[in-house]
Amino acid sequence: MLVPSHGVLAQFRKYRVTQARERTENALKHLLRQATDGHVASFTSLQGVLRMSDRQLMGLTQRLEREGLVRSEGTQFQLTPEGERVALHVLRAHRLWELYLADELGVPIGRVHEQAERAEHGLTKEQLDRLSASMGHPELDPHGDPIPTGDGSIPESPGTPLGAWPPSTPGRIVHLEDEPPLAYAQLSAAGLRLGQVIRVIERTPTRVVLTDGENEFRLAPMVAANVHVAAVTTETAPAAWPDSVIALTRLRSGESAEVVALDPSFRGFARRRLLDLGFTPGARIRSDLATLAGDPRAYRLRGTTIALRREQSDRVLVKRLA
Amino acid sequence: MSAPIATTPSDIVREAAALRRSLDAGFREEVVTSLYGEVERLTRRAVQDSGSGPLELDQRIDRIVTSRLLGLPLMLVILAVIFWLTIVGANVPSQMLASAFFWFEDLAAGWFTQLGVPWWITGFVWHGVYRGLAWVISVMLPPMAIFFPLFTILEDLGYLPRVAFNLDYLFKRAGAHGKQALSMAMGFGCNAAGVIATRVIDSPRERLVAILTNNFVPCNGRFPTLIMLATVFVAASFPPAVASLVAAGSVVAIVLVGVLFTLVVSWVLSRTVLRGEASAFTLELPPYRRPAMARILYTSLIDRTLFVLWRAMVTAAPAGAVIWLLANISPGGVSLATRTATFLDPLGWAMGLDGVILLAYIIAIPANEIVVPTMLMVYMTQGRMLEIESMDALRTLLVDQHGWTLLTAVNLMLFSLLHNPCATTIITIYKETLSVRWTTIGALMPLALGFIVTMLTAAMARAWFGF
Amino acid sequence: MSVEHNCETCPVHAEMAPLGATVEAFDRVVALAGNPNTGKSTLFNSLTGLRQHTGNWPGKTVTRAEGAFQFAGLRYKLVDLPGTYSLLSTSDDEEVARNFLLFGRPDCTVVVVDASALERNLYLVLQVLEITDRVVVAVNLMDEAKRRGITVDTRSLSRDLGVPAIPIVARTGDNMMALVGEVAAVAAGETVTQPLRSKGTPAFEHAVTTLVPMIEAAAPGIPNARWIAIRLLDGDVPVEEALASGRLAELVARQQAPDARFSRKIALQGAQ
Ligand SMILES: Nc1nc2c(ncn2[C@@H]2O[C@H](COP(=O)(O)OP(=O)(O)OP(=O)(O)O)[C@@H](O)[C@H]2O)c(=O)[nH]1
Ligand SMILES: [Mg+2]
Repeated sequence: MLVPSHGVLAQFRKYRVTQARERTENALKHLLRQATDGHVASFTSLQGVLRMSDRQLMGLTQRLEREGLVRSEGTQFQLTPEGERVALHVLRAHRLWELYLADELGVPIGRVHEQAERAEHGLTKEQLDRLSASMGHPELDPHGDPIPTGDGSIPESPGTPLGAWPPSTPGRIVHLEDEPPLAYAQLSAAGLRLGQVIRVIERTPTRVVLTDGENEFRLAPMVAANVHVAAVTTETAPAAWPDSVIALTRLRSGESAEVVALDPSFRGFARRRLLDLGFTPGARIRSDLATLAGDPRAYRLRGTTIALRREQSDRVLVKRLA
Repeated sequence: MSAPIATTPSDIVREAAALRRSLDAGFREEVVTSLYGEVERLTRRAVQDSGSGPLELDQRIDRIVTSRLLGLPLMLVILAVIFWLTIVGANVPSQMLASAFFWFEDLAAGWFTQLGVPWWITGFVWHGVYRGLAWVISVMLPPMAIFFPLFTILEDLGYLPRVAFNLDYLFKRAGAHGKQALSMAMGFGCNAAGVIATRVIDSPRERLVAILTNNFVPCNGRFPTLIMLATVFVAASFPPAVASLVAAGSVVAIVLVGVLFTLVVSWVLSRTVLRGEASAFTLELPPYRRPAMARILYTSLIDRTLFVLWRAMVTAAPAGAVIWLLANISPGGVSLATRTATFLDPLGWAMGLDGVILLAYIIAIPANEIVVPTMLMVYMTQGRMLEIESMDALRTLLVDQHGWTLLTAVNLMLFSLLHNPCATTIITIYKETLSVRWTTIGALMPLALGFIVTMLTAAMARAWFGF
Repeated sequence: MSVEHNCETCPVHAEMAPLGATVEAFDRVVALAGNPNTGKSTLFNSLTGLRQHTGNWPGKTVTRAEGAFQFAGLRYKLVDLPGTYSLLSTSDDEEVARNFLLFGRPDCTVVVVDASALERNLYLVLQVLEITDRVVVAVNLMDEAKRRGITVDTRSLSRDLGVPAIPIVARTGDNMMALVGEVAAVAAGETVTQPLRSKGTPAFEHAVTTLVPMIEAAAPGIPNARWIAIRLLDGDVPVEEALASGRLAELVARQQAPDARFSRKIALQGAQ
């Protein structure tokens, strides 16, 4: 299933797409996107996407109306059911193609959008079905966007935009919006990846600050809106611990305890370091030294003395020993 | 999964991603836990622990060394004691070395003259190169030979990690890493080594902060300067009974100023070019160990003292030659040295220093060690200061003939703390960061700070105390 | 690597001589690994006669230092590495150590462990055993352990681990000959080790065994494909990138040259 299907590729290459067709399809795609985001597309928004002169765009919208793909009310446009079908087809082509480029051809993920934009036009439904099958009918494109199915339905886009995500709650990144490309480039340059677990630690009108427990990411709110997150599903939800399980920090000097777990929201290198030092479930630990500010503290563990900052010891869950 | 053997790396990565999905989310964690389980089984079989005597002692010491009340004061006291021992111990040998060297200079120059060697060769060799070397050795050797062994004993005892532990909170507030204290401790020896020692810091951001601020701890090349200034100027205005204490105190104060700058600059960096919050900190505190004395003496005397001294001498000899040339090439009747110094005087004045001192700093860019010797040599070539029999004479001459004040001494101490790193350190910063940009910042930022700070103190001293 | 037992290696002639920093011509490469502050540099000094700096705090050594000694007619290059807690962790100093252990092809790896904190130290030993057979465990700081009333049964340890475990006191040079003898035997392949390897879950083992041949095909001659496979399964982005860009091969080549980022001067005799 992982073999690049060169046959399909070769056939796709044969297609010569006319510019008119590309523009039509891009217009439809834009209308679809606006509709799913709950916005209404207007002449100006179309112009922003297609970068055509007023006269050209007028001609295009009139043609779309004539063909029964679009309805217009004043300067606002909406897709007809037939228009939506076509638009979904194009979207499917775009996302499948992106996935193909990224996964099968190893094109860097920052470049797939641009290339798919060119290749998505003029593919038949049969060709798309074959492409989809050759990749095992994937559900998500490389950015985490749902790929419309062959019967024209679009899976619910998972996740909440970062703007609406409650602060300091861990969330897993399920989608990184690839449009506009500039914003996406920023996200990927910052090092955000699908599947990463992050928390919002600060949100002001001018910036949103995230952390994955290791690095911090500062994003403009516009850019942050392109990140979608969903709740972290873990078998060990912190709320499930009995009362006897406390944070290591709460251990008083000289008290002994047994490590129960590391907080699931505690990830990345810092977590691995603690595991390597032997902070594994069942390990016996004793609070040993505290400094002036009570932070850091040193603990006896496995015959060694290890100093930790409060941020870390807060996330080591222990059970007091008598 | 019927994947054929694929051979491109991206195939492998993709295959790995596919396989990863077939594993439990926390599989690696389970591996760690099971390895530790295995280890516990092994140790149960192989190790017998029959109570622990000395460990108790370790813990009792640690309770004191890291205690809320005593931890920080104890650190200062230890530091002060080390400097005090260094100052008291180095005083006499330094003077003896100086008089011996200068006695020999006169003698040898006399022989040269008797043998009919042209005056300029005698001047170049004996009053230039040799005098440079003589100064470096007599000013630097004794303090280093005392300071390094003492410091290495602390290191071998296991005190350094406790310092990092005690100071971590401050570093955390500054957005930096507690192990920066360890790299700073290495910086006392040599800033280049301090920069390399930052490798122990996990987070690249915090590591860069540590690299850029390492120069704020005075290295061995600058300690003798500080010690000399503290002894000859600051302490001299106090009664002899407390003079050495005052001298030690003022060196500690300068070190604290350096620590303060480290923290402030780290804080600023963490909020500007190196944005970010402090990350995780894990530090193992080893048991206290008895220092291996023979090794300590070897490392601190041979590796550190002689190594540094050699480096200083290699740069001091040419510097001496340059100074001699500057002083003796006199177009229009005024020597080049005097001309340059006069040219630099206004800037020097604004900084509470003078042109000669700045000239010395320029000549000493390759190695900080030779600043004071260079300065003294330039003063001497101006013809007004011929012989220095003792440190007290040095003081009288500088004060009486060159208008030095307490302000000059304090600002010179500040400037020797805050100025560009030596050439070796700059190269090391480049090797560690592989970035011209960070290297430039690392080189120029302390210099800029030095200008600003000395100008401020000079202005304030003049406005309020009428210097 | 000769396994034959000629008279040069007879115990009668087995004598050891430090060779200092002469590492140009050597027959075997021995790496010194272990947790930080377990006495690797002290052991290095006592074997090579060099003066690598030591200090009682973790992280004293942050660069790779090389020296040599001679034993039973063969010349050994000894490589002192920075301390590391795990082959998975990556601060810059630990990366130096990890890269050499993984890609430096040492003929024998000596893991120096602290006798009074065996539990934490053996974790790294097990990790090293996962990637190579040629391991000798040096149980150091025996004097300190004894003072604390801790006794270590190295025979049982050796039996359980499947590799030689030798008690030593690096500071005084106690039992050095026994250690060097075992190192020589393991490096020559005379001592056949049976390293303890704990099996992961079946799914994990399957995943690893699927990836290993792929990696070996993509990057021929790479040591430790298994470790790379595990890292890929872990989603280690730097390793993915190193594999994709062919830097792994470069990494292997670089381990043969001295640590190029520092002048030897600073690493060995500098004011470190
Ligand atoms: N009592 C005792 N002390 C030892 C022994 N071996 C080493 N030490 C001391 O342990 C401390 C650490 O030794 P190093 O050789 O620097 O340790 P290392 O493993 O190289 O440490 P890193 O370079 O930080 O990884 C030093 O203070 C040594 O003097 C030993 O056998 N007995
Ligand atoms: Mg070492």
